Amino acid sequence: MHVKEAIQFTHQLSGRWVMPILLHLHSSGGRFTPLQKKLEISPSRLSDNMTKLVSAEVVQRLTPYDRRHPLLPEYKLTPYGNSLLEIAMVIQSAEKAINHGPLHRKNWNWPILLALFHQYDRFQSILELLGKPSPRILSTRLKELCEMELVKKEIKEEPKLVYTYKINETYRSSMAVIWKEISEIEGNKPNTKD
Amino acid sequence: MYKSGLTIWYNVKNMDESVKYFTEGLGFSLDFKDEKQRIAIVTTNTKDCCIGFAEAETVAPVTSSAVFEVEDIEKAYVELKERGIHFTGEIETIPNLVKLVTFQDPDGNSFELSQTIAD
Repeated sequence: MHVKEAIQFTHQLSGRWVMPILLHLHSSGGRFTPLQKKLEISPSRLSDNMTKLVSAEVVQRLTPYDRRHPLLPEYKLTPYGNSLLEIAMVIQSAEKAINHGPLHRKNWNWPILLALFHQYDRFQSILELLGKPSPRILSTRLKELCEMELVKKEIKEEPKLVYTYKINETYRSSMAVIWKEISEIEGNKPNTKD
Repeated sequence: MYKSGLTIWYNVKNMDESVKYFTEGLGFSLDFKDEKQRIAIVTTNTKDCCIGFAEAETVAPVTSSAVFEVEDIEKAYVELKERGIHFTGEIETIPNLVKLVTFQDPDGNSFELSQTIAD
């Protein structure tokens, strides 16, 4: 997948519950209560999250009439959901590797890191690549990433002074590995049929 | 081709409640329970006939009934009522065939007791 797709996919994975749900759905047999116990989430909160994932076409909900047996899954990943799961696995091990986690809980963290890795180094160009964030949220996230020393902010003297952002030297080789893994994942979009 | 064995599976809202209903209420015994997967199986009055439960987010009660044979339906009716089983109606008699009485589990699945009437 390309960087723009990767940015959309990693953005979809942000938040408290999306990654844990995707990562544990299979081992819960695709069933609601085993997943709920495993994640230690309240049933209503899990239900809300699942409804959102259904409308985002990440998972498919099987009705009691679709299911041939009560032990069969209530939810299954769509092809899009499968692509997201693969990225979630990369992000999960990446956050361990760079010892900064959980970055995915806050939106835009991973899209920003991917943008920076691809030499989008100015505020405006990052904002445009990411598409949707408000300038305020982007500047908050950049500030946080700088405080974590994942990102370095520098002043460049061109005709006029500009700020540039870079992945900190220490993390550049890790980011290269992460990007290689993500780029090799097939990016199935919503609406992709089996 | 077949061997002895019949299991009826139900989706239920709460495995523990269903197990309690079928063991303490109806008097069957617990055969198997998996706390993590939230599934359980109880044995019934008939050898190799079991009832399985698996928790689900959405439960659609089934309309077909599993029917348990009893020796004396009037006695069973009174005894189970005392143990908290809520019957849907009174005992009905189909002449020369059976006496039946219907009840529902906590999820609204239908069950019946039946006593065959010997001529």
